[in-house]
Amino acid sequence: MTDSIDLGLNLLDHQLLDAENRRCGKVDDLALEGGPGEELELVAILCGPGVWRGRAGLIGRAAAWLGGGRRVRIPWDDVAEVGSHVKLRKRAAELGLGRGDDRVRPYLDKIPGSDR
Amino acid sequence: MKIFQVALGILAAIGGFVDIGDLVFNVSAGATFGYQLLWVVVIGVVGIVVYSEMCGRVAAVSGKAVFDAVRERVGFKAGLAALISAQVVNLMTLTAEVGGVAICLQLLSGLPYRWLIVIAGVGLLVVVWVTAFEWIERIFGYGGLCLLVFAVAAVKLHPEWGAVGHGFVPHVSAESPLLYTYFAVGLLGAAMTPYEVYFYSSGGVEERWGPKDLGLNRVNAMIGYGLGGFLSFALMITGGALFLERGIEPEFLGSITLGAEVPLGQIGLLLALVGILFAVGGAAIDTLFSGAYNLAQFLGWEWGRYRHPRGAPRFTVTWFVLLVLALGLVLTGVDPVQLTEYAVIFSAVALPLTYIPIFLVANDRTYMREYTNGRLANVLGLLYLVVITIVAVTAIPLLILTNVGQN
Repeated sequence: MTDSIDLGLNLLDHQLLDAENRRCGKVDDLALEGGPGEELELVAILCGPGVWRGRAGLIGRAAAWLGGGRRVRIPWDDVAEVGSHVKLRKRAAELGLGRGDDRVRPYLDKIPGSDR
Repeated sequence: MKIFQVALGILAAIGGFVDIGDLVFNVSAGATFGYQLLWVVVIGVVGIVVYSEMCGRVAAVSGKAVFDAVRERVGFKAGLAALISAQVVNLMTLTAEVGGVAICLQLLSGLPYRWLIVIAGVGLLVVVWVTAFEWIERIFGYGGLCLLVFAVAAVKLHPEWGAVGHGFVPHVSAESPLLYTYFAVGLLGAAMTPYEVYFYSSGGVEERWGPKDLGLNRVNAMIGYGLGGFLSFALMITGGALFLERGIEPEFLGSITLGAEVPLGQIGLLLALVGILFAVGGAAIDTLFSGAYNLAQFLGWEWGRYRHPRGAPRFTVTWFVLLVLALGLVLTGVDPVQLTEYAVIFSAVALPLTYIPIFLVANDRTYMREYTNGRLANVLGLLYLVVITIVAVTAIPLLILTNVGQN
């Protein structure tokens, strides 16, 4: 990891990859802690439709509603590397990420040829 | 062996370049203005080369496809606006292409159109589900090469070559300048189809291109799209040589095939129909995947055309839903040729929304390291930024003022 990163350009809205390199969401927002005069610390990545609500006005709210409104908090300690993508230390399922794909997969499995 | 593979890829790219937008706009531009707008096709083809080379390079160096880069660069809000407009245009294009496939099947078989819409939809679904993507690309790309019949037809129709040559010199028409400008905008929109670029860059990421593949990217972009543009010239020349003098306005996909049938007879007609079927069918599949790529990349889902459906579940569901929506829209009885005109014009309007972020990323050292735009890419990139901005701003007023190119 580089010593300094531009949170706006190099972290926010980047792809999340889990420990097995599975694409499992985007960095939808960041959680920072520290009051005025204190040191500001990045504590977590926020991910999921619930986070969109605050990011794009009315359309963002509509998108959040359509997406089910869930939000997932990924502690900064679970981030392994920030490069071209944001690599996580754990598997998506452990962090509660990529649930949409996991939920749809069993249905696809019933259709012949889905694992060709 | 490598050269052989590249050559095969290029053949497939030529066959895959032409879609329903190119067919409709090139032939009707020829029917209305003869060869006068050939120069616009050159500008359009160079434009798609510039745009796709940049996207391919961004994919190779940063590993990011178009909508990854768009969202990272302009953020969630502006990215969402770009996504929504891209998806609307995409669905319109897809609907037009599915309808186009049904029309071709009808012209080939004579069965009722409504049945053939369903057959076209189910056929595309089955092809995409059971066929490995390498094969889809080859089958539709090589099938689309039948469109070369239009190049032969263009020569056989004995156009006035002096006038054809003059058409490559940029000029403005004195008679009906508004309509002329409308066709110019449409031709640019048809040549610089964004879904092809989304598709191309996503393919680059999937095939794990790296900086070593930048040469391949350049060759693909220049030769694949460049030679594809050659087919556009042929289409416009047949339109000019056949329809203009007879005062025919080709309003149906079937009339486009006359361009090959009149000079070459039955065999010309057959090749033209098969060529259009594969070109438009292949474009339908590309468009279908592009819509799924865009959404999956914007939201960070698993995606990939080389993956089996269970490897990228929501991506699979997305393309399935898009296909069903398009099928439903065609079944409402909307005219695919008319819809194509709207799709091309709206795609010209939406083009800057993805072009600008990609242009910024291609110049960004944090993404591109030493592979940022060179001087040529930047001069051309800026020039086209101006061109597509003008096109985007004027497209809808022209659509209204010319009554969708009717007056």
